[in-house]
Amino acid sequence: MIPYHRDPRQIIPSTAVKIIGLGGAGTNMLERIALDGMEGAELLAINTDIRTLGSCLAPEKIQLGVNLTKGLGAGGDPELGHQAVLEAEDAIRAAVTGRRIVFLCTGLGGGTGSGAAPIVTRIAREEGAFVVVFATMPFAFEGRRRRDQAETALNELVVLSNALVTFDNNRMGELVLAKQGIHDAFLAADQMICESMKAVIRLVIRPGLINVGLDDLMSALRTNRSRCLFGSGIATGKDRATRALRNALSSPLLDQGSLLKDARTVLVHLCGGEDLTLFEIELLMQSLQKFVPEEAHVLFGAAVDPAMGDALSLTLISALPEDSLAMAPRDSLSSASRDKPLPDPAPGVTPSSENEARTVEPQLESEDLWKPVTTPAPDADAPAAEKPASPPVVVAEFVAVTKEAPPEACVEAAPDPQQTDEEAERNAPGPGSSGGTPIPKKRPAGATPWSVTQGPKSLQPELAPIESFVLTPPLEPEGPKLKLGIKPVTPQSELSLDSTPRGRFEGETPNVIDGEDLDLPPFLRKKK
Amino acid sequence: MARRTKIHVGLEIGTHKTCIVVGEVKADSAVKILGIGETKSAGVRKGEIHDYSQARACLKDALTKAEDASDVEIGSVFLAVTGAHITGINNRGTFRLPDDEPIVTAEHVEEARTIAREVHIPQNHVYIHPIIRNYWLDGLEHSTSPMGLFGKTVEADFHVVHGIGSRLQNSIKLVREMPLEVDDIVFAPIATAQMALDREQRERGALVIDIGGGTTDYALYLGGVITASGCIPVGGDHVTNDIHLVTGLPFSKAERLKITEGDASADPVRSVGTAKLTDERGFADVEINRAVLNEVIRQRLEETLRLVRQRLPDNAVASIGAGIFLTGGTSLMRGFHELAFEVFGRDIYRPELPEISGIQASFKDPRYATSIGLIRYAQIFDTESAAPPGIFGRVARMFWPFVK
Repeated sequence: MIPYHRDPRQIIPSTAVKIIGLGGAGTNMLERIALDGMEGAELLAINTDIRTLGSCLAPEKIQLGVNLTKGLGAGGDPELGHQAVLEAEDAIRAAVTGRRIVFLCTGLGGGTGSGAAPIVTRIAREEGAFVVVFATMPFAFEGRRRRDQAETALNELVVLSNALVTFDNNRMGELVLAKQGIHDAFLAADQMICESMKAVIRLVIRPGLINVGLDDLMSALRTNRSRCLFGSGIATGKDRATRALRNALSSPLLDQGSLLKDARTVLVHLCGGEDLTLFEIELLMQSLQKFVPEEAHVLFGAAVDPAMGDALSLTLISALPEDSLAMAPRDSLSSASRDKPLPDPAPGVTPSSENEARTVEPQLESEDLWKPVTTPAPDADAPAAEKPASPPVVVAEFVAVTKEAPPEACVEAAPDPQQTDEEAERNAPGPGSSGGTPIPKKRPAGATPWSVTQGPKSLQPELAPIESFVLTPPLEPEGPKLKLGIKPVTPQSELSLDSTPRGRFEGETPNVIDGEDLDLPPFLRKKK
Repeated sequence: MARRTKIHVGLEIGTHKTCIVVGEVKADSAVKILGIGETKSAGVRKGEIHDYSQARACLKDALTKAEDASDVEIGSVFLAVTGAHITGINNRGTFRLPDDEPIVTAEHVEEARTIAREVHIPQNHVYIHPIIRNYWLDGLEHSTSPMGLFGKTVEADFHVVHGIGSRLQNSIKLVREMPLEVDDIVFAPIATAQMALDREQRERGALVIDIGGGTTDYALYLGGVITASGCIPVGGDHVTNDIHLVTGLPFSKAERLKITEGDASADPVRSVGTAKLTDERGFADVEINRAVLNEVIRQRLEETLRLVRQRLPDNAVASIGAGIFLTGGTSLMRGFHELAFEVFGRDIYRPELPEISGIQASFKDPRYATSIGLIRYAQIFDTESAAPPGIFGRVARMFWPFVK
């Protein structure tokens, strides 16, 4: 097939993305983003308080109100925050110049966040950026005054920003179990914000089969005084379409999908491995119809990413007029915590697709991990060498597992030697003969992503065009190194647990009490 | 006032068998079992229905058998439910009397009861039983309502059993489709305890463990009142499954080995040599090392019992005076007594079924304990809820003595 270059204007280089953390809460979020590995995007921390700024991980920092507050915080006074930001206007302007998308993370209610956010947003808009604001609203117990301050700032932000995603701290309880530590609660909230940001970046940056871009995103979020609804889910296995939808809807921002019924425009973005079928998409969209009103404008996008293995990820973005959000019933604590959607879905949704791998510089961890075992010294830029290097069976499993695994584990875990060995074994016969290697039952035959020779033959006919996209040469030669967080490595023990046969109770939800799966024989469990 | 004979029906949809017991409660409170309809369950796993149509077919079959055996047309049943989602918690409601009212009235007691019943349960859960344990009046325990006494503070101590509403509704729906009415739903171990324990044993403290096919249900009675109840989703099926997973034998053979050869005691003497199954022609079919077989069984059952023990309140085991009563099909496992003694260190009993006339022998079987317990429960339920008939009732009875 003849590869062709995609029109580069459609795509925004990820160097043009800037993430700004403003104020104390914003800095915390930024830190989480930095830890979760969005290395590609530029991170900028802005604060009045020099202490938090000093300890922040962000590479770029701007101190506000050097003369006004002299390195102290704004003391909860938005007026002070407002004045402080005016002092540093030039520095901020310089930092956002030439950026196509600016994400502003902030906690409203305090001094710096509420006071400076509208100004920073305005500056970024003036510099021609698309500004998405992620704001947290204060807890109810913080009092009326802070709430009012937050509301005032929010009203300004609604007008100034292109898109606004708010997260109410009061709903934090839905993210974690009641007995979990406060640290976990904040972590979960930050993670959710981080995840939303990744999803937006993914949408805008990565071209898909059915493309959605900035224009679609803007129309999805375009309502007056709106709040953003966001949900993202990922699933593998047989009924992955329905489960991905369920996971997406269990996002606390969506209230189990009940909030979608008032939405006028819904952006749906699907990303699957090479075995993504039209039937699945149909199935998923059909079940989504139940939550979305008939007259709503559904902006649909789909992308195929071989690195997804047999996982399917779904992102829902919509906006809702603020008044209807206030009336919506609160999600129950138990249901939200039961299937917690939060723990970083990044591995599954990571765009280490073929074209992405070349858009993105080849320093994705996955590449590093897989490179040595497959080919002696493959140039990651060479498509042929890369293909066999993409993950075999393991992909599907770690995608599933990381959903439950705490994000720290993902960040810290080093590439597991055992896993690599396993791959080495599988790949040993060479990519061509991989058709003969044992494939788990779940995986359809056409889905062996590591086999180049087998690929085109076994792909289903309607997916044939995918190959052409997949083999598209680099779009941006200088390669923005946005790493949308491949963290493929999870503790090996969980992997093995997942693959253990369980006889009569196969396929049921694990019967876990005190961390032990009761469906497995104690005889085998205790022996380990 | 003499009561008339009344017929109650207990229904248990278990993981292994669906069982309907028709019992007659005579005027002197003796229970006579008229008939049992039993059929092998299908579509039930870990005590919960997962294949609705199969479960319905089984229930239909059991119902026909029970009606045939007892010669009674069954209209309504008491339904035993179980499942890992059902749990019991204790809660105490305190009500302080207004200053100008020194005597406890019915309203005050009712208020305390209402407070006690308002346990925080997850949103999708519903109450199954609020069971009154006892009352407290100014820190002094009263086993009956302290109405009419002098006091300042009334407290009501409740044991509240709750479970996921939708799952319970599905069980009820299944029964209603027969069509049968459901008089009440009962958490299985509570029904079993009605059968297994008498008043004295409850006073001294007793634990009932009902190990069935898919679940292990337990109910703890201390000082005459229920103290803890719950369900662990592990049962005889797991033992079979374990044998299957460890040895690779098919389920049918694993099941036969479990029943005919398995032993749960850690006694090394019983783990010598190999266990054999022969097929219908007398040839050796399956051979397995007894040590492995017994170890697999023992570890599973020991873990299950330890889970039960772990879930009981602290120091509860030490205050069990009467002993531990094992029922359910899996309790028939050889050596299970020894194992239970090892775990709990208390006297272990398999309950003797009290005062039942009829074809006794077949009912002296721990597998029927829950269903028969349901009849007992129904009897108690009836006694508690039956108000003495008013004047019209008495007049009516003179003409038509068969009404309730």
